[in-house]
Amino acid sequence: MNSNSDHKMPLSQRPEWSDVTPVPQDDGPNPVVPIAYTDDFRETMDYFRAIYLADERSPRALRLTAEAIALNAANYTVWQFRRLILESLEADLHEELNFVDVVASSNSKNYQIWHHRRWAAEKLGAEATSRELEFTKKVFSADAKHYHAWSHRQWVLQALGGWEDELAYCQQLLEEDIFNNSAWNQRYFVITRSPLLGGLETMRDSEVSYTAEAITSKPENESPWRYLRGLFKNDMHSMMNDPQVLSLCLTVLKTKNVSYVFALSMLLDLLCHGLQPSEEFKNAAHALTSEAGPPGSDLARTVCSFLEHVDPMRINYWKWRKSTLPAQVV
Amino acid sequence: MEDSPPGSSPDSNSPSRAESFDRDRHVFFLQMMYQLMPSQYQGQEINRLTLAYFAVSGLHILRSVDSLHKEEIISWVLSLQAHPMNEDLLNDGQFYGFHGSRSSQFQKIDNGVWMSNGSHLASTYCALAILKTVGHDLSVTDSETILKSLKNLQQPDGSFMPIHSGAETDLRFVYCAAAISSMLGNWSGMDREMAKEYIINCQSYDGGFGLTPGSESHGGATYCAVASLQLMGYIEDGLPSKSASSCIIDVPLLLDWSLQRQAADGGFQGRPNKPTDTCYAFWVGGVLRILGAYQFIDKTALHKFLLTCQSEYGGFSKLPGQLPDLYHSFYGFSAFSLLEKPGLHPIRVELGIADNAAIGL
Repeated sequence: MNSNSDHKMPLSQRPEWSDVTPVPQDDGPNPVVPIAYTDDFRETMDYFRAIYLADERSPRALRLTAEAIALNAANYTVWQFRRLILESLEADLHEELNFVDVVASSNSKNYQIWHHRRWAAEKLGAEATSRELEFTKKVFSADAKHYHAWSHRQWVLQALGGWEDELAYCQQLLEEDIFNNSAWNQRYFVITRSPLLGGLETMRDSEVSYTAEAITSKPENESPWRYLRGLFKNDMHSMMNDPQVLSLCLTVLKTKNVSYVFALSMLLDLLCHGLQPSEEFKNAAHALTSEAGPPGSDLARTVCSFLEHVDPMRINYWKWRKSTLPAQVV
Repeated sequence: MEDSPPGSSPDSNSPSRAESFDRDRHVFFLQMMYQLMPSQYQGQEINRLTLAYFAVSGLHILRSVDSLHKEEIISWVLSLQAHPMNEDLLNDGQFYGFHGSRSSQFQKIDNGVWMSNGSHLASTYCALAILKTVGHDLSVTDSETILKSLKNLQQPDGSFMPIHSGAETDLRFVYCAAAISSMLGNWSGMDREMAKEYIINCQSYDGGFGLTPGSESHGGATYCAVASLQLMGYIEDGLPSKSASSCIIDVPLLLDWSLQRQAADGGFQGRPNKPTDTCYAFWVGGVLRILGAYQFIDKTALHKFLLTCQSEYGGFSKLPGQLPDLYHSFYGFSAFSLLEKPGLHPIRVELGIADNAAIGL
């Protein structure tokens, strides 16, 4: 990255650029939403236009693209031209990733930066794997839910490998913050796609136990509930027959002073899919939700009524769910 | 938001204590932006057309677009269109759409011919949306070029790349392609079946959609998925229960996930366990509207939350108490339109513009 002194001196005053005539932007007579460019921005882009039109792929052109990127990191034309220069100069792409590290530190929510990283990593291949995984970890240490970084990490794993420690990494992130939905998503990504693990069905039992523990510690946490449902994707039959799932719902409902919304919602979904709970279960569930429905009414209707009560923001939804219950539901 | 008497907070960054949507101030804000954007926006120079879309479409939703010079807008937008030098070049693999601004459009000094095609799918969507908003007849626009070259951007997995020179591919650009095709009334530029497959692959285990297959489900991505399916004709209108069994995506799970995005403060979040933000009132609210489930949200709570993001300078901010920006302002106005605020035009939610048909245009 250029030193401060380079950045401050106008290009028109720098001897190395004296042979170049800057090309001004021609917006036409009545541009819409004109922007009040700073002099620095205007001048840098005028010089960029000049080297772009001349197709100059020199070291000074490369430096200029860095200055343009510093002012305008979203400009894909500049990034694309930079890539052309890097290829022409046969530049060291490890150095380039160092450059991107610095740019990303102030511009991390920018698609072009991440695309450029991917371009460089793709060219480097396997030798970039651990560096890219480390880089994303560094981003996560500041923002564990950084969307671009998670997309990049998933791409690295699938294109370059490095799955060995991924499940453990998810575990670590969840220990730091059990509410981190990105980490739960990554966990799902790993157990379903890692070539080193046995796939969803093989992993299911242990994952259900892990998730149940997360749920009982914080029943108001939406993420593990969604994850649990995801473990039985396209296989509601197995879910209904998994004793861990039902007992989990009941355990939460028996706990005082916690959120019941997700437990009730899960129970409702199971009932709608045809769950036939035991009499014992029905009685226990009714006892817990009895304040919401008269005794003897369908369990599903009772659950809906209780949801209207504990999740009033979505009262219209729960009323609608109640009115559209399948005929044979318990 | 805490209860305190109106006008009690001297902090200029505090949210407006207005009891209601301050339309006049929002119109003023947009008109100011339309005239000249502050230098903080120079980092978005490459996407100026998008900023123009926010301003023009925003004014239209606020029923103030007639204050603008439509011919000037049309001529500026059309000047950003890329044209191949001759017919043969249409098969050269490039996409000939619209540039986001002059900064991706280069003019050779000597012969004055625009060279270097840097046109972008999202800019093309914005260009067509603006033209449609100001009443320009799109069939007169060189739409043939756009449609013929659009397919050069579709990838083997059904997704779309935004520029032919190489970029990330994800659901945002599937949406742009679908919206462009819909506005031009012609689907020859994209393979809808392949796009549909890609969208299906983006539905996460929790019912929402991520930007790419395997990514975390996200409000913005979910909008792109559902709006695209709607535009392409893969979603039936009507209450969710009707479409549940026949739909290609898991609608009940999507519905449940989307509704759960309305958080305790009444606003919408983009992902579970993340803060609420003005724009998701449109992204997720829009999904619910398309699914016929907007009636299930707590409109009062949302209304109250949005007002905490309304700025005393006009416009909306991302979070309560911050300064407004053009993006969150546009989505704030759109969200109020979804709430059917009197005085605002209804919007065609899947296109992100005011509903001309509903207005009677």
